Amino acid sequence: MSYKTWFVALNVALVGAFAWAYARDYNAQWKTYQRNYYNMAADALQKQSDAASNPDDKAKLHKEAVAMRETPLEIKQIITKDLGRVDRCTTCHVGMDEYVNPTMTNDFTQNPYKSHPDVAAMNGNHNFQKYGCTVCHLGQGLATTVKDAHGFVHNWEQPLLQGKMVEASCARCHQDFEHLKGAEVAAEGKKLFYEHGCQGCHSIKGVGGVVSVDLGDIADKPLERIAGYNFSRILVDGQPGHYLPESQWTVVNWILGHLTNDPMNVIPNDPLAKFNKEPVAPTGMPNFTEPDATGKRELSVDDAHAIATWLMSQTDEPIPYQYIVFQKPAPEPHFTSAVAHGKFVFEKYGCAGCHGLHGTKGRRNFNALGPGQVNPETDMDKGREPTLVDVVGTFTHDELVAKISNGVPASAISRFNPNGPVTPLYMPAWKDKIKPNELNDLATYLLSIAKQQNVGF
Amino acid sequence: MTEPNTPSSQPNPSQTPQSVQNSPKPAAAAPKSGVSRGEFLWIGWAAMVAFVGGFAAATARFFFPNVIYEPSQKFNAGPLKQYDFGVNTQWLNEERVWVIRNTKGFYVLWARCTHLGCTPNWFGDQHRFKCPCHGSNYTIEGDVIAGPAPRPLWRCKIDVNSKGELIVDKAVLQDLPGLREKVPFFVEYT
Amino acid sequence: MPTLDAEKLKKEIVDSQIWRSIFRGGIWKDTPRDRAAHIVGNVWLHLHPVRVRKRALDWTYSWGLGGISFVLFLILTITGVLLMFYYRPTIGYAYRDIKDLAFAVTLGKLMRNMHRWSAQAMVVAVIAHMARVFYTGGYKKPREFNWGVGVLLLTLTLFLSFTGYLLPWDQLAMWAVTVGTNMAGATPFLGNEGPFGAAMGMHINNDVRFVLLGGTMVGENTLLRFYVLHCVAVPLIVGILLILHFWRVRKDSFSAAPYQAGEEKVEVWPNLIKREYVAMAACLLFIMVWSILMNAPLEAIANPNVTPNPSKAPWYFVGLQELLVYFDPWIAGVLLPGLIIVGLMAIPYVDNNPKGIGTYAWKDRKFANAIFTLGLAMWFILIFIGYACRGPNFFWYWPWESWLTPKAAPPLTWNLFGPDPKWKLFQTPNLSAFPLWIGIPVMLGGFLSWLVLPKLLQKELNGKKLQAAFIGVMLLFITGLKLGLHVPFGSGLWLLFFGYLAFYFGFILPQRYIRSMDWARYLVTMVFVIATMGVLLKMSARLAFNIKYVLTIPTVSLNI
Repeated sequence: MSYKTWFVALNVALVGAFAWAYARDYNAQWKTYQRNYYNMAADALQKQSDAASNPDDKAKLHKEAVAMRETPLEIKQIITKDLGRVDRCTTCHVGMDEYVNPTMTNDFTQNPYKSHPDVAAMNGNHNFQKYGCTVCHLGQGLATTVKDAHGFVHNWEQPLLQGKMVEASCARCHQDFEHLKGAEVAAEGKKLFYEHGCQGCHSIKGVGGVVSVDLGDIADKPLERIAGYNFSRILVDGQPGHYLPESQWTVVNWILGHLTNDPMNVIPNDPLAKFNKEPVAPTGMPNFTEPDATGKRELSVDDAHAIATWLMSQTDEPIPYQYIVFQKPAPEPHFTSAVAHGKFVFEKYGCAGCHGLHGTKGRRNFNALGPGQVNPETDMDKGREPTLVDVVGTFTHDELVAKISNGVPASAISRFNPNGPVTPLYMPAWKDKIKPNELNDLATYLLSIAKQQNVGF
Repeated sequence: MTEPNTPSSQPNPSQTPQSVQNSPKPAAAAPKSGVSRGEFLWIGWAAMVAFVGGFAAATARFFFPNVIYEPSQKFNAGPLKQYDFGVNTQWLNEERVWVIRNTKGFYVLWARCTHLGCTPNWFGDQHRFKCPCHGSNYTIEGDVIAGPAPRPLWRCKIDVNSKGELIVDKAVLQDLPGLREKVPFFVEYT
Repeated sequence: MPTLDAEKLKKEIVDSQIWRSIFRGGIWKDTPRDRAAHIVGNVWLHLHPVRVRKRALDWTYSWGLGGISFVLFLILTITGVLLMFYYRPTIGYAYRDIKDLAFAVTLGKLMRNMHRWSAQAMVVAVIAHMARVFYTGGYKKPREFNWGVGVLLLTLTLFLSFTGYLLPWDQLAMWAVTVGTNMAGATPFLGNEGPFGAAMGMHINNDVRFVLLGGTMVGENTLLRFYVLHCVAVPLIVGILLILHFWRVRKDSFSAAPYQAGEEKVEVWPNLIKREYVAMAACLLFIMVWSILMNAPLEAIANPNVTPNPSKAPWYFVGLQELLVYFDPWIAGVLLPGLIIVGLMAIPYVDNNPKGIGTYAWKDRKFANAIFTLGLAMWFILIFIGYACRGPNFFWYWPWESWLTPKAAPPLTWNLFGPDPKWKLFQTPNLSAFPLWIGIPVMLGGFLSWLVLPKLLQKELNGKKLQAAFIGVMLLFITGLKLGLHVPFGSGLWLLFFGYLAFYFGFILPQRYIRSMDWARYLVTMVFVIATMGVLLKMSARLAFNIKYVLTIPTVSLNI
């Protein structure tokens, strides 16, 4: 080609490239949604105008409809000074913009056009212009495309809390959320967490057991700290074959992966020393999908979601004190009988986490001794924690108190496969956590539930 | 974003047509298959001008921000029924306006002296606004009655939403008698 | 025909007093003299000569690489200035402003993409330009100085990229700069973690890293410093050096080839100008289309407590990062980059081969081309390894392997020479096999004899026989290791591969080609050659035998 041809071709191509670039910039995704909203709202007004009998109203509504249809498109944003956020959500969710839709209600059923549910209560107490959106819903407020704004992108750590999961945000500020209308799922999650003894291993901001990580800032857990190898093994709601897509590798699903899956499958580690010199046991987290006495999963999928909802309220993100609804923690109840107090102590410190609800079923402890173990390589996962109702009968009251006070370190737990890993679970020394009078009553309670005829396994 | 004169690598656009045509092989103006060389080159030059012009225009557009981090010029001043007659100073610190209710309805004055931009004060006993900088005095309507201010105080656009709340927009102003007493700078309310 | 009117109009405009007052040169008559006046009278064009040798215009001679680098620099300047209008260099705003550019500023995304991709393309273009100049012998007398200026410009191009990386304040920024500046902290004498640093009284808050960061960690001061460096200080220096570079190109004439009798010269206007325009337009088009199709990456907001896994430098520094796997930071981060820069600048002064100027002369400059190509290839192979073959925890993952595959823990490393030896090869994790009183003399002696031997052997040795002998000896050695110490054969092959490369490029070629050089030039050349081969040998020691250090003297932090 001659230089003249190159000259013409390149210049024309440059104009083309520029037009292409500008068109892409100009035809932003949010414009379609905003334009659609104005059209839909104008149609609704026009319908009212057509139906109106009074000619003055008719004309007024028609004028409003025309103005609505011709509203110039713009990026709308709510700047929340105290909370340090800039939320552009109302750019597409126009029905929630107070200046376009003063009543904050409409008849649209589809997102992003519909108005905010329960808007009277929500906007009344949490003025949207003051609170913004992402402080409750999370997501990327600055973004103006659907995918980026909802935050399921690799560079945004806080994607949208979907469905009822948003109740986690109620619990962030409302310390009284257990009595709050609309935060029932979060309240249920907290109840389940303590009922099933999660705090026996996981402390919450320092309060609770030391066997596993503190969950007081679990909502802030950096995804970089979770290996993709483990994420890729999570099954959605534990359904076989439904692996979690990479876009859903979030903290919420990491929690659910522990509660709706057998955690040993998610975090198998290296029990046979295939990759390391020393064997490493799988996670000690019990399998809460195991059936209980009634044959149902100990934690249903809904239960798991409830717990995850509550855990997502556990964050270290600073909240201005004006936004916190304070509540004093409830005082401990008084008990007249030692057994009743002991039962309360059993639940308070999360003993069920390892020994099962009411001490009736010791949970899995990898490579500890357990019933039905034959093959030293494949049966390590049949190891169990002691089932208290079976074993406490062999102890005296003082022996029990001493055992609970001093604990049993993992190194002292007999291994089924001597070449296998150290057991992941162990009995921590509780003497610094459980008060002496509590300890006494706990032992009394335990002896009261012992099956007298059975002597350990 | 390139400019017409990128040093050393680009000729000056308006000087070059001749010289490119006059490159060692003199350009024959003879039409070839219906299109002459001159017209053909013309497309190239036009494209170049279009590109540079387009980019210059786009760059100009670039300087108009689509979002700004100033507090919104619009604010919700709450239900009308909460206001008493006369000058209400409750929004002065936060939004720099007076909400004024008279027997006919509401108007909102922007608390900025039209002389040189100081914030006047309301003296209820004398029933006038006084500017501390150069002594301009205004009536409750905003008209100048003393001092150097050249024009009345500005009135903000106001609106009432369906919940009966006053929405003030400080971005739209009016001070002309005759216009300022009408919608959208005045809300009738009794 | 409207063309006629346009012609007339144009003539009237061009000949008008206003036009003529702006563009010097009198009435345009389109004569050779007019064209010359065009070049000389225009501040932008006068960096060109009036006439240029025809051979310098060949695309296949220069490939337009220098011009393309400059066009990219201009694109970067213009887009950079525009970006500055929407960017505030503070921790609270920087990341948010980048998000705004992506989501809320008209054409902001395009500007940022163009800036990022032009920067990367500029690194490629400048390296390619350097390679082109090397292969055509363009650095030889009288152009030694301009080559040096070019090397400085390459270094500054990389430094501009490095400083620019911090500005979005995302995770990539945070960790690229943390690692980069920690290398500065490992500088001998001047860094708190470098050899002899402690002896010089260096602490975390008074060393060279502290000055660079304006603090002890990457923070508000660092962002401001890097912003000023990136937007003002470094571009200013680059601009000055560019003027110098262009001036010397013009003064030293465009092609380095010796004149031939009766060689034709052509006018720069329009012959060179039109080529430059085409190169510029093509380059701009390429960057624009690339920027439309691909968005510049932006990671999560910077978090000084969480490092991405794997954490990788920008691609052109990934080779350096890979070197850091094998060497202590002061060697890989300070010594080797320093040697590369000094070595490149020394090339014109040690290469006194008068042949191969202005042409791609493979046959006349075998040694220079071989060593330079090896160095360039090593740089890009290291980049490839770091970019494509490293996965989570910086483990080795082949490009076709999923990063979700679990990997065995890396084997324990050991040292060859060091204090408290255990005298047991391959069985002393983290300890040394042989004592220092053997190691120091062996290493020193080996280095010195390697340094002088090729020159002392006056007669040219038979390369083929030597190579065969070397491979034979190595095979015997590997078999011995396999039988005696149960070293896997694969490890032996690594050793054979790298050992052969080092032997061929470090001994056979110097012995054949540069033994007749004067001692000064010979020794300088050999130091750089041996340093290059040393990198290869150390890599083989690690990859094949898990040797951490060949020689370690912990008391003075000297680890090789």
